[in-house]
Amino acid sequence: MANSNLPRRIIKETQRLLSEPAPGISASPSEDNMRYFNVMILGPTQSPYEGGVFKLELFLPEEYPMAAPKVRFLTKIYHPNIDKLGRICLDILKDKWSPALQIRTVLLSIQALLSAPNPDDPLSENIAKHWKTNEAEAVETAKEWTRLYASGA
Amino acid sequence: MDENDLNSDDEIAIDDDCYYDFFIKGDDPMDSEDAKSREGSGQKYTILNQADIRKRQEDVIAAISTVLSVSGATATILLRHFNWSVGKVHEAWFADEDVVRKRVGLLNYEKQLSDVNAGDRATCGICFDVYPRYRIFSVGCGHPFCRECWGGYISSAINDGPGCLTLRCPDVSCSAAADRDIIDMLALSDDDKKKYSQYLLRSYVEESKQIKWCPGPDCEYAVEFDAGGGGDDSWDVSCRCSYSFCWNCLEDSHRPVDCQTVSSWLSKNTDESETKIWILARTKPCPRCQKSIEKNGGCMHMTCNPPCRYEFCWICLGDWYNHETCNRYNEAADVEADKNREDAEKHVTKYTHYFDRWAANHSSRQKAIAEMQRVQSVQIRKLIETQGKAEYELLFITDAWEQIIGCRQVLKWTYAYGYYLPENEHTKRRLFEFLQGEAETGLERLHECAELELNQFLVDYGSPLEGFKEFEVKLKGLTMVTRKYFEKLVRALENGLSEVQVSGTEEIGQNFPMASAEG
Ligand SMILES: [Zn+2]
Ligand SMILES: [Zn+2]
Ligand SMILES: [Zn+2]
Ligand SMILES: [Zn+2]
Ligand SMILES: [Zn+2]
Ligand SMILES: [Zn+2]
Repeated sequence: MANSNLPRRIIKETQRLLSEPAPGISASPSEDNMRYFNVMILGPTQSPYEGGVFKLELFLPEEYPMAAPKVRFLTKIYHPNIDKLGRICLDILKDKWSPALQIRTVLLSIQALLSAPNPDDPLSENIAKHWKTNEAEAVETAKEWTRLYASGA
Repeated sequence: MDENDLNSDDEIAIDDDCYYDFFIKGDDPMDSEDAKSREGSGQKYTILNQADIRKRQEDVIAAISTVLSVSGATATILLRHFNWSVGKVHEAWFADEDVVRKRVGLLNYEKQLSDVNAGDRATCGICFDVYPRYRIFSVGCGHPFCRECWGGYISSAINDGPGCLTLRCPDVSCSAAADRDIIDMLALSDDDKKKYSQYLLRSYVEESKQIKWCPGPDCEYAVEFDAGGGGDDSWDVSCRCSYSFCWNCLEDSHRPVDCQTVSSWLSKNTDESETKIWILARTKPCPRCQKSIEKNGGCMHMTCNPPCRYEFCWICLGDWYNHETCNRYNEAADVEADKNREDAEKHVTKYTHYFDRWAANHSSRQKAIAEMQRVQSVQIRKLIETQGKAEYELLFITDAWEQIIGCRQVLKWTYAYGYYLPENEHTKRRLFEFLQGEAETGLERLHECAELELNQFLVDYGSPLEGFKEFEVKLKGLTMVTRKYFEKLVRALENGLSEVQVSGTEEIGQNFPMASAEG
């Protein structure tokens, strides 16, 4: 079985994610690949994503935890730090990664990013521009997309 | 200039020649060797190999370690933070040690497992396994990680690049530095340790202000420059790899113009210049028969293929035997050519004039470099056979080529100098153009002698040829004369042609006081 030599760290993290999930976040490993997680994050209250349910995929590469997990939004989302393919611009997923971080910390950071979009470090130029020139309108679009694509139906 | 003299190849042409007079007058015979001996005293730079660099680095580390009573690893962190400046480390440390410690992640106590996790076992913060104390390490902050996880952490940092030199505790909220002692103790492989120490060595060169890598291809030497070392203002460095460059801007040596001029000039001709140089360097139609003729030598004296055999100047396409100099930009002629031309276009014409000559000398120099390699690898061998000479007796030939290569470089940059010389400085421009023209003629003669006259001695007639001794005297003479002329030319141009103010300018070329002003 492919999962037989799974590092103890991953097993422990998985157990903890399942037994004590962080509020608004769920993550469960796929049955055939224990390194692949199906993730759901609830749109934080007071954000344009409130009421939305966002699906993500998270994969632990062979080098994990020396290398960061790979995370991507599957649900379409209007956000300056997330591009069309769902890739996320977040420092701890790149150069600020440390093996002392965990899946839980990564997901909490993504949730925080939904509460506080950062158009000054954009991944999606157009959305970031929209955000900077007319924030109210951009927020409306984000809400609209949340209703359209993340209503959880 | 006496025209006959220019043409007389069969006699030693440097005799009785104003080009020769011009600089030899009042000259101290003792300084004829000064270009050669410059490598000794008064040199403002030092070439360093890897071992020299490491030695210097270890010396400053030891110095800081002693004065501050810290470990070598701590001293390394401090020095890196302050660009390897001992003075800056001292200053900051003695002003406020705590601030410095905090900034670079040095804790106030020695490396050991702190008592954050009481008990004789601890959980590794990376693999989450529980280990006995002796298998857990922290960098003094108490965050516990096992040996294997440290090894993996260090290894992935080292493979990410020189950022590993500022490695911190894996705990993201902690800024405690992981120094080179930790790396030495916990790195997984010797390969990792080697890479780390290579990064450290590079950082010493790249972050300190007095040392730079030689930009020569595949060169591993570094050059330390002592700008306060007296002497002239030149930044020129000649590396042990034979590459010459300006230490300040890292471009090829560019005397007599300064770095600012080089940068303006180079940015002026960025994109097209490479192709332009290439085209200029290749073929032109013969001005008489219009057949395309390819330039394969380095000197500017062209001879068309038979039956035409027309001899002309590669740059201006003028008849070689009615040719004096063509370095001078003749604005009047350009204006005459088309009176309605716009200012901008006039500017382009002026620029083209200088650029063409700059590029021609550039490619001529490239050819001379290639030719010199051929001389060293093939021709010297042949001469040993055909003329029965010993290798050391033929050194004058490579000397000549080295001189040609150096002079082409100077001449090339005099065209940037000329381009930027203000138009309203009429006297200076006249003097400059005169000096440049003389330099060009003289170098052309040397280049031609080395390139063409040598050929006759390569053929094996069974016995040494008569004229070889004369050839040797002539080439040596031309080399020496050209070297001295160019040295003075460089000095005069670097002084902004200041002689102009002092001396009368009516008799330029007869009384130019370059030789006496030299002192
Ligand atoms: Zn561990
Ligand atoms: Zn720590
Ligand atoms: Zn070099
Ligand atoms: Zn320079
Ligand atoms: Zn012809
Ligand atoms: Zn010419």
